[in-house]
Amino acid sequence: MDQSTRRKFLATCLGAIAAAGGGATLYPVYKYLAPGKGDEGLAKATFPESEVPAGGAKFFSFRGEAGVVIRNKSGKLVAFSAVCTHLGCIVQWEKEKQDFLCPCHAGRYSMDGVVIAGPPPRPLPKLAVNVANGIITIG
Amino acid sequence: MIFVKRIYEWIEVRLGVKELVEKNLTGYLLPRNINFWYSMGSIILFIFAVQVVTGMLLLVYYVPDADKAYSSVTAIMNRVPFGWLIRTCHAIGSSMMVLFLLLHMLSVMFMGSYKRPRELNWLSGFILFSLVQVICLTGYLLPWSQLSFWATTVATNSIGAIPLVGQFIVEFLRGGKLVGPPTLGRFFTLHVAVIPVLIASVVGVHLFLLERIGVSKPPFGLDNTKNRWQGDAFRYDEHTGGIPFFPNYILQDMTSIAIYFSLFAAVVFFCPGIFFPDDAFIQANPFQTPAHIKPEWYFLANYQTLKLFPNEFIGLSIQGAAMTFLALLPFIDWGNEKHPLKRPLFMVCAIGGILLYIGLSIWGHYS
Repeated sequence: MDQSTRRKFLATCLGAIAAAGGGATLYPVYKYLAPGKGDEGLAKATFPESEVPAGGAKFFSFRGEAGVVIRNKSGKLVAFSAVCTHLGCIVQWEKEKQDFLCPCHAGRYSMDGVVIAGPPPRPLPKLAVNVANGIITIG
Repeated sequence: MIFVKRIYEWIEVRLGVKELVEKNLTGYLLPRNINFWYSMGSIILFIFAVQVVTGMLLLVYYVPDADKAYSSVTAIMNRVPFGWLIRTCHAIGSSMMVLFLLLHMLSVMFMGSYKRPRELNWLSGFILFSLVQVICLTGYLLPWSQLSFWATTVATNSIGAIPLVGQFIVEFLRGGKLVGPPTLGRFFTLHVAVIPVLIASVVGVHLFLLERIGVSKPPFGLDNTKNRWQGDAFRYDEHTGGIPFFPNYILQDMTSIAIYFSLFAAVVFFCPGIFFPDDAFIQANPFQTPAHIKPEWYFLANYQTLKLFPNEFIGLSIQGAAMTFLALLPFIDWGNEKHPLKRPLFMVCAIGGILLYIGLSIWGHYS
């Protein structure tokens, strides 16, 4: 093996070791900084039924995002993601009109989560609701 | 490789980097008898970079509030992925920084590199040493554990022994009569903003002086080991026929950093607990002082000195005198001789001083 080939081989080995070292350093830093899912992916939200006012809405935190629960026209509890499907603002419940208004670009949703006005492209995603012994469980 | 060459040429015609490379890297000549002790400075720079990076990462999750600081550190250690690694690297890195600073200082002392015309370099190094001690002291409080709280109480109390202004300075540092939430705010600001900027600035001065004056020549392996500085005019300390910094001494720097890193990794992964006594895992309780609170190892000699003298002011003055002597060493040691074995008085004082420091530290640990 002549000098230049031996030198190239050693330089390549050094480069490989440096790359491995760099990867071994960057991986823990990436994992440290990346937002963790933790238990959020499986968590349910629970609260008493009495916290949902008549004709009103209750907002809650659900798996890292905002959710909202209301009683629909037939009195049944329905829950939606409160994140507007347009650009991610949180919708407000309008008690007089009994619908959802997004304050950012005036998108409007019915009490069934369907888009009735404005730029939102999709309805509000529904969330599973269960009521037992006066406790509402979402998710 | 052709792509890299083309980028290099693009930059060269705009900035003339070839001239800079020749002046500062390939054409920057070092004495032929240079040794590995001259790479201590590079190791310290590497440690500082690691401390800055791990410190910034810790800032992502650390909360500088007295009610939340301890729990945020506990979360970093137990819940954040690899948080234990980042925190341990930062804690162990601080002790390593002080250790290698001491080694660097000792090597400069023994090789006589502090002598004329390098007095300013020694002074800037001394300032850096003091700044590093302060950054270690301020960082120690941030986890808000029993160890943090009471070690800071003891350390800041000692300043109260200064006549007339002592108590005012203590309360100013603490932001109140006792260590508390205001202290955390002040120490956090000092630790993450003020002192790192100061350290970076003084490092810049230190490196500028090194480059302007030139690297000193070790006194080993030479017939004439005397300082040949004439003092009549500025002359750059050239080393004609010497070793180029790049690639020769950079390789030594990288080797030393690699050896340091393996020592550092060994401590981080196999015995991180040596710097974490039990009190480091209990949240601060301002109403309960634990028994046997001790400062970190690099302050044990100071701690023991204060314990030895019944009058705190005398204890503080003696330490102040010792530090002043060290700072003014180039102005006190006028001799031309640089070889340590040809400087008997220096050797007696230096070895005596080292033994005294080690002895006081061990005594402080067991007392």
